[in-house]
Amino acid sequence: MTALLDAAGLAVGYGGPPVLTDVSFRLEPGERVAVLGPNGGGKTTLFRALLGELRPSAGTLTASGRCASVPQTERSRLDFPVSALDVALMGTIPGRPWWRRPSRADRAAARAALERVDLADRAERTYGELSGGQRQRVLIARALVQQARVLLLDEPFTGLDATSAARLEALLAELAGEGRGVLIATHDLEQARRWDRVLCVNGRQVAFGEPAAVLTPEALAATYGGAIVTLPGRDTDAPQRVILPPHHHHHGPAR
Amino acid sequence: MLEPFQLPFVQRALVELLLLAVLAGTLGCWIVLRGLAFPAHAAAAAAFPGLVLADGLGFAAPLGGFGAALLFALAVGRLAARRREGHDTLTALVLVAALAAGIVLASDVFHSAASVESLLFGSLLAIGPGDVRLAVAAALIVLAATWLLGVRWLAAGFDPAAARALGVRSPLPDTLLLVLVALGAVAVLSAVGALLATALLVVPAATTRLFSDRVVPWQLATVALAAAEGTFGVWLAVKLNAPPGATIAVIAGAVFALVAAGRALAPRATEAAA
Repeated sequence: MTALLDAAGLAVGYGGPPVLTDVSFRLEPGERVAVLGPNGGGKTTLFRALLGELRPSAGTLTASGRCASVPQTERSRLDFPVSALDVALMGTIPGRPWWRRPSRADRAAARAALERVDLADRAERTYGELSGGQRQRVLIARALVQQARVLLLDEPFTGLDATSAARLEALLAELAGEGRGVLIATHDLEQARRWDRVLCVNGRQVAFGEPAAVLTPEALAATYGGAIVTLPGRDTDAPQRVILPPHHHHHGPAR
Repeated sequence: MLEPFQLPFVQRALVELLLLAVLAGTLGCWIVLRGLAFPAHAAAAAAFPGLVLADGLGFAAPLGGFGAALLFALAVGRLAARRREGHDTLTALVLVAALAAGIVLASDVFHSAASVESLLFGSLLAIGPGDVRLAVAAALIVLAATWLLGVRWLAAGFDPAAARALGVRSPLPDTLLLVLVALGAVAVLSAVGALLATALLVVPAATTRLFSDRVVPWQLATVALAAAEGTFGVWLAVKLNAPPGATIAVIAGAVFALVAAGRALAPRATEAAA
């Protein structure tokens, strides 16, 4: 089976010294990969490289399918006069020259994608009036419209209630089941444990592999630096590892 | 009651205003949506010294105005695109410098101070065929550009980073929007002047924005509102013998204030009823 993504010795930056180095991983169809790392650790930089926005300064990156990003919903303008369908329709922009308007087929594709994420009945609703979980699924629909085989999700579970989070997780499992690859930036180790692979980055690739092999105290300490603490286990449980809330200081240029 | 509209120069003013309503209603929504109200105001101000220069040196006034406005709009656009801090401060500086340069040129270099007032506040009752032709051309260009590029302008404003990821990386559509802002600013100069351009380009769109949740209905409502405000403004100006540009600006401002106040009070009314 051909890998959807194959990175070997990748280094990426913004013109100056690379902010992320030594990235070597493969993404197979049907895999969900958790991308762990502190804020400013290079998760967004990696995604921008996979999207083709940043050119690697070293190493190789082979992609056998289109990558599409699913950004955090707060990054979009909630006061914008757009419906869920309008947002999904933005996914058709890459598929046509600038002087071409969305065709009937484009509209049908956008509607089908909204149906795929179970939002067919919300297509005409204003995007900003949808719930956080619904907005996240609209952005997934926009990625599906691009016929992406690889989805890059930036902390998609942030701010979701338990029901919405469970629904989103089920949708990601379905999308992976259809042979897509899903990269999910997250801070949630419990979620990461449930997925197929874990990729840890902190300026460089710290670890990549199956959750059981990667989620070790050593690897997590190297990923999060001093921001990880070990709590004594309750009763007879194993000790619990907790990531302290990330500090919001930015490293390097705007992400 | 309607006798002002029987006067030929009032009829010409009305035709000009209806054309500008199409232009301003369509373009104004993009200006409001993309946060370009202040640059639009400044582009109109930047056109002022260009108009004085054209007047003094004897070449077509719209050309001088458009040249100056374009230069300014593109410079601001580049700064904004690079997210340089303080580009709004720079916009304010250029706005003041442009007005000062225009006044100095008019009074001390070309001794054409008499025309300054009409350049700054418009001369709606002295509209010529050239003004009408410019309004027709500008309105058609804005409509065509909206038809072709509206989806991209929307996507780029909705989430710039995601738009880049979608492949909307060419700066061309956004640059063209700035060119159209400059064109729109110059087209409305004859009606409302450099200082009141936003009365047509921004205020009607900002008013209808308060109750619009889709782009196309919003644009249609803005065209209708700008046409209504313009028509009423011309009629009132003739009746009261007031300057028409300023009259329209006052009406537009008052309508915005009323609608905004109504919107602010409405939720409380429904709460009280519930």
